[in-house]
Amino acid sequence: MDAGKEIVRFEELGLSYEDAPETLSDVTMTLREGEFRFLTGPSGAGKTSLLKMIYLAHRPTRGRFFLFGENATEAPREALPALRRRIGVVFQEFRLLDHLTAYENVALPMKVAGVNQNQYREDVSELLNWVGLGDRMDAKPPTLSGGEKQRVALARALVSKPDLILADEPTGNVDPAMGERIMKLFVELNKLGAAVIVATHDLHLVQSIGKPVLRIADGKVTRSAGAGGAA
Amino acid sequence: MTQADEFETEDDADAVKAPRRSIFRRQAAPLLPEAGAAGAPLTAVIAVMSFLAVLAMASLLIVNRAASEWTSSLRSEITVQVKGASADEIENGVEAALRILNETEGVIEATEKSRDETAALLEPWLGEGNAEAFLNIPAIIEVKAAPSLRDNLDLLRNRIVAAAPGASLDDHARWHDRLSGAARSGQAMAFGVFLLVMGAACAISIFAARAGLAANHEIVSVLHLVGATDGFIAAEVQRRFFILGLRGAVLGLFAALAALLLAGFAVRSSPAADNFLPSLRLGGWMILWLAAAPVATCLVTAVTARLTVLKTLSKQY
Repeated sequence: MDAGKEIVRFEELGLSYEDAPETLSDVTMTLREGEFRFLTGPSGAGKTSLLKMIYLAHRPTRGRFFLFGENATEAPREALPALRRRIGVVFQEFRLLDHLTAYENVALPMKVAGVNQNQYREDVSELLNWVGLGDRMDAKPPTLSGGEKQRVALARALVSKPDLILADEPTGNVDPAMGERIMKLFVELNKLGAAVIVATHDLHLVQSIGKPVLRIADGKVTRSAGAGGAA
Repeated sequence: MTQADEFETEDDADAVKAPRRSIFRRQAAPLLPEAGAAGAPLTAVIAVMSFLAVLAMASLLIVNRAASEWTSSLRSEITVQVKGASADEIENGVEAALRILNETEGVIEATEKSRDETAALLEPWLGEGNAEAFLNIPAIIEVKAAPSLRDNLDLLRNRIVAAAPGASLDDHARWHDRLSGAARSGQAMAFGVFLLVMGAACAISIFAARAGLAANHEIVSVLHLVGATDGFIAAEVQRRFFILGLRGAVLGLFAALAALLLAGFAVRSSPAADNFLPSLRLGGWMILWLAAAPVATCLVTAVTARLTVLKTLSKQY
């Protein structure tokens, strides 16, 4: 089988915050189109830091990082928004904008990309209906339950049809049944072609989904299981 | 079972249900939240800046108009003073000077001031009724002149002095120069105050934009996350500052216009002040210029906020 296009490639990557010891050391891995990886490890191991580098919130302090085939380590600041628009991110704490409605939160990636509202209005509504929030479009996040907020966050991450979906403990603030459904949704999206990385503590969910796992401990990717990953 | 049904869980019982509304009636909210409590002080400060800017602009315009009126009046008038050892000599000198003046092209009107009027001019120094008792008061001829006369003033002066040796001609050039200098100083001062106000508006805008970015750090971070450019975020901040600035600027404009109207009324009510102070009446074109001051304040505030945001964000990743 032909290997898909490279989505993420780390080469001997290191990340440290100011003068502290490296949070991530010598990370080398590749994620290709259509691949799914779980990222597991204890708290503070560096899972979130790894994801932050991928969604371009942190710049690695050493090594090389390629995103969608572009050298993101040396990319100028002006080039970053276009790369970020190809990534959908879901957080444990949702990170919705409380002063906007569910509809406006989901529409945010389209609005910042300068897409005319007439072009995305139906997509956003359809997506909110799809995640079961068709009747909560005008609700603001403070009035939504944890599960509803996570579904709004999911819809926001998916609205621009990203090539890469990142999820940082997406089931941490929802009940187990909702967590399982969200995880199945990631699997479905992966089948549609998006590459997916899900950082989670929930080993039960990891086992039930049965996808390859990258394990991080003390800032190093110490183990990988399944195809494609290397550390 | 649909995807929507898949997501229905007991967790949703925590949510506050709200009625569904048509997406076509949706009005986009600003991506940065309304400033709330922080917006009122900023609006108030911009209103004060706008108020001061309008007053500075009004000073500039009033001084400009007064200087123009004064110098124009001085430039269109010439004074001929005729001295003499006796009243007859003065009388003869006046006749000769008037004859020459009336023959001269560019002289619109030449009028001799009466002795009483001339004596009245000296009363503040000599006391009432003393001028004529002790002095041969010189005669004064007021001349209204066309601008073309200024080109041949030396010739006219020589002719008058030849016909009336005790005569002298004053074209008010010295006063004109002094008044022009004073007016220029006043204008420069008013313009300086206007620039200072704009500088203060800039400084306030920089401080407020930085504070706003810090307060909305999470929102800015999410906007970056979903692919917003710095320009997009800066445009949002600029829009918000423009709205706040516009509110403040309009308040400041009306407050300043009210202050100017009251000051104008106070000046007109006092005859002494009305004679010495320049007119504070606001004409149509002056109102337009005054309205430009708060617009400038508003634009300076918004553009400064935009540039501040761009500079601050450029230091981030």
